[in-house]
Amino acid sequence: MLLLALLLPDSVSGLHAQTEYYARIGAVGASDLLRDVIVDEIRVRQSIAPMIALGASLPIGAPGYRVGLEGTLASGKFHSSESGTDTDLGTLREASILLNLEGPVYREFRWRAGLGGLQYWPADKDGIFRSGGTARFLAGAGLDYRRPVLPTWDLMGSLRYDFHRFTTDELKARGFSQTQGVSRVSLSVGLSRSTR
Amino acid sequence: MIRPARWISLGLVAAAGACSDIATPIRNDFYEWRLIVPSASGSGNDSLTFHWPHERLPVRVWVENDASLPENIPRAIAAWRAAFLYGEFDATIAADSSGADVIVRAGAAPGTQFSRVRLHSALAPECEGATDLDLSDDHTQLRLPIRVYVDPHSDPNAPNLAECLTLTTTHEFGHVVGIFRHSGVATDLMYADPSVAGPSERDLTTAEVIYHLRSNLEAVGP
Repeated sequence: MLLLALLLPDSVSGLHAQTEYYARIGAVGASDLLRDVIVDEIRVRQSIAPMIALGASLPIGAPGYRVGLEGTLASGKFHSSESGTDTDLGTLREASILLNLEGPVYREFRWRAGLGGLQYWPADKDGIFRSGGTARFLAGAGLDYRRPVLPTWDLMGSLRYDFHRFTTDELKARGFSQTQGVSRVSLSVGLSRSTR
Repeated sequence: MIRPARWISLGLVAAAGACSDIATPIRNDFYEWRLIVPSASGSGNDSLTFHWPHERLPVRVWVENDASLPENIPRAIAAWRAAFLYGEFDATIAADSSGADVIVRAGAAPGTQFSRVRLHSALAPECEGATDLDLSDDHTQLRLPIRVYVDPHSDPNAPNLAECLTLTTTHEFGHVVGIFRHSGVATDLMYADPSVAGPSERDLTTAEVIYHLRSNLEAVGP
């Protein structure tokens, strides 16, 4: 992470000084990864998973507006549900990266919206992930709250929503067509290095 | 079209796309898997369907160290697990036969006992297999262990013996999974005299469907 900052040449030390870095921890929940019908309906869903987020941003153009990169990593269980019975399907890890544009909303609140990608890494190549993980395009938006707690550090709380279309190579090989819309919502808190 | 209407239309199209679900495949290419036996009540038949209940997974399989069974049984388990997307079936090798759900032995199947149903298959000259199911008199219980026999006949150097043992072992394990009948199509592994190396799409779909239907046989023991 912090790729944005590392990519900056030393000559633009002014930009280095204006770069904001942050780290957060929280939890992410998602809608169904898959809905299938063999006899009854089967749903595959991830459990609410712990996540970490790291990011950096730089000012652009108009005052208060910034562009940044944010990466997240989450790991949790996923399961299928059929006729009221849940079956544990193992552990699923997800990593996302978003290129964001952010701007002010009101006082300590800021909005952000971005595009990027999401990678699924199953712990076991089995079931819907028998042919391995999958990478998907991702669109997201969110709201940040920052409150100064130290001269150069802000407390940061974030609410995020993102959306992608899910499928895997195994599902395609098994005759599934189109993709499943998956929404994810996360709540997290952390610290941001302020540029005040 | 006025500009707001255009944006609303675009938004509705995007929302419709975002909300649509994945399209599931139609699983209708499967064959009769049920064991049909004369009814316990004396009139008509009983159609028996069985799948391993989730609480009994993984199925414990004891394997005799002969006829390439220690190599072929894990392959057979993997081949049949490929049928399932949602953790419906799993099996593991057991060290002790006394607690096993399935016992796999090399050699000819012994004489059939009165209450047992034998699924005899693989008529190749190099090897053959059989799976014995022990049913209760009222046809409501499958008494464990299921016993599988893979017989390499007499000549260990017969040509094609290795291939015959592999496909016969995988075929017999298809009975263990719950396919209690033979397919009528020669390109299926569950054909009575199979010649294909692994389960066909029809075999896999049949196994998949079984695990989403109600079983009318209860596994008991060992």
